[in-house]
Amino acid sequence: MIRVDDLRKSYGSLKAVDGVTFDIQAGETFALLGPNGAGKTTTIHMMVGALKSDSGSISIDGATDPTRPVVRQKLGIAPQSLSLYEDLSAEENLQFFARIYGLHGPRLKERVDHALNFAGLADRRADHVKTYSGGMQRRLNLAAALVHEPKVLFLDEPTVGVDPQSRNYLFDNIEALKRAGCTILYTTHYMEEAERLCDRVAIMDHGKVLALDTVEGLISKFGGKSVILAQLDRPPTDPTRLPGRLDGLTLRIESEHPLEDVARLSSDGLRFTTLSIKRADLETVFLSLTGRTLRD
Amino acid sequence: MHAILTMALKDLRLLWRDRFGMFWVLVFPLLQALFFGAIFRGDGKDTAKMTIGVVDEDQSQSTQSFIKRLRDSSALSVEPPLDANGKPATPLTPDQARDMVRTGNLVAFVIVKKNTDENEGFTFAEMPKLEVGIDPSRKAEAGYLQGILTEASFKGLQDAFTNPAGMRERIEKASKQLDVGSGLSAPQRIVLKTFFTSLDQFLGSVDPKVYHEGPQAMGGANIQLVDITREKHGTDNSFEITFPSAMLWGVIGCTAGFAISLVTERRTGTLLRLRVAPLQRTQILAGKALACFLACSGVILLLLTVGHFVFGVRTTHPALLAMAIFSTAICFVGLTMLFATMGSTEQGVAGVGWAVMLVFAMIGGGMIPLIAMPQWMTVASNFSPVKWGIYSLEGAIWRGFSFAEMLQPCGILVAIGVICFAIGVQLIKRRET
Repeated sequence: MIRVDDLRKSYGSLKAVDGVTFDIQAGETFALLGPNGAGKTTTIHMMVGALKSDSGSISIDGATDPTRPVVRQKLGIAPQSLSLYEDLSAEENLQFFARIYGLHGPRLKERVDHALNFAGLADRRADHVKTYSGGMQRRLNLAAALVHEPKVLFLDEPTVGVDPQSRNYLFDNIEALKRAGCTILYTTHYMEEAERLCDRVAIMDHGKVLALDTVEGLISKFGGKSVILAQLDRPPTDPTRLPGRLDGLTLRIESEHPLEDVARLSSDGLRFTTLSIKRADLETVFLSLTGRTLRD
Repeated sequence: MHAILTMALKDLRLLWRDRFGMFWVLVFPLLQALFFGAIFRGDGKDTAKMTIGVVDEDQSQSTQSFIKRLRDSSALSVEPPLDANGKPATPLTPDQARDMVRTGNLVAFVIVKKNTDENEGFTFAEMPKLEVGIDPSRKAEAGYLQGILTEASFKGLQDAFTNPAGMRERIEKASKQLDVGSGLSAPQRIVLKTFFTSLDQFLGSVDPKVYHEGPQAMGGANIQLVDITREKHGTDNSFEITFPSAMLWGVIGCTAGFAISLVTERRTGTLLRLRVAPLQRTQILAGKALACFLACSGVILLLLTVGHFVFGVRTTHPALLAMAIFSTAICFVGLTMLFATMGSTEQGVAGVGWAVMLVFAMIGGGMIPLIAMPQWMTVASNFSPVKWGIYSLEGAIWRGFSFAEMLQPCGILVAIGVICFAIGVQLIKRRET
């Protein structure tokens, strides 16, 4: 569906995007995960034709020029900022964006109603956007991207600045879009979002794709072992037989199969007052790839 | 075209809902037109009178007649005013009159002194003795007041001659005073007695009407005052001068508003949405330009409608007016595009845009009417699109321009608009890629 090959963009001496290559299958939800300034937004802007690349190629549904109207008709974007007209109502915003995609008449009304219901804003359709909460504005921002029923959705940090309840609502929306077969390119710096929503993740930093795979694939390749932290109820009779490192009553074990290890220790007669298993995640992957955390 | 119209209507709706923006686009220009129109409206007939205080120490019939003549003067307002009985409401004392001049409450005071001539010599026409004091800061009016007082005094002499019987009584009285003890030498007394006798005979034989209706009555120089109206260039309706200026302020408001809105769209990301939509860049800018054009034209038309129906601003040449409105709107659409590139934030664009526009307005007739400008400013105004906008509108409203004369300002406006639009679009294109 989408093919990006050796995409590059520089601003003076700063290489914002440096040889990015990936492809996205139809109906796939693909994440660009990386900290602020990694080059995610610049990549998206080049893919939708809003920014000219220095070199490289982009192909969307077989077309190599994303600025062609026939290609753009298939694209929808929810920019990182709330790209709405605050002095217009939700309905007026959606009608406007639908009209510029050529919708009119009953089809326009149908799509606007659908988008309002999708965003849960049907009962506030006539209110000006400036009266909405941040979460409502985020939902409308997403609704405006899909009002014309695009094949490909570009969601640039769609949950920035929203409360947990609104975030969950947005996740449900995006999962609904996935189920409907929409191809989604999702940028985020929240690993939880990428893990929950995305089929594959490209980890970006300093304009480069550092790794690209499924979440499980990335973790298994770069995440390292899980960590078991156990608090024993009494000192063990023979500490030398225990795996890992014992510090007082605290036992720390790095393991590729943590559940099996815990079961074995339990059958050996160890009793735990507390037990935790920290599985490797994308944060760990990013740490192992870059030497720093996503939030640094 | 459908997409362009959709974008233009959206922008007009946003402008309409922006109360602060609408104030600058419509309310402020209207208030300005009304305010300055009302100020310039005076036709010179209500020139302020000179206020003087009069003290009558003599209280004789002749001094009261003299003061009445001062009260009747169209150039003076005399204090104290008269009550219902025609008497001074609260007569001034000399000290009060002097204080009122000193404190700036009166321009001048006139004290009519008590006449003691009967004890000093002879008189056949009573000329009042006056003490006059005038505010030192009103020196230009001193001579003016002196002339009015002299006129009033000689009017008394003229009135005396219109009453020959009374005059002859005075001559007889004066003649007796000569005999009783004037202190004059015998030859001088003979000369005066001869003069009085001749005058007495003259007054007994001439029709009193001669003094009033004769070719040269005793009223001094034969001066005929005529109503002079200051020369005006073209219009007697001050609102025809202030409304074109107000229209340009409205257009300036539109220009600033739309230039800022373009930056706002860039900042919020709505411009990105538009650019990802199946639209050409030229369509997006055309939508913005169309909205700006319609807003500018609409503001001018709205103000023109108010001016026409409420204040009598002429719209006798609708074709020329349409030409002026079209070219003015085109010019400021171009400036909008240029100003939109002059900053990366709304504050930056607003600052630069308003600063440039204020200079244009200052030298272009937005603040001082073009017809009231000194020569050097008239030359400087040629560099301001505001001047050409006002000039074209004035040309269609009251300057009586022909179609050929309208071509100059309208051509300049369109040229500015096209050039600025082209530069603006190129800069926007460069910035966004």
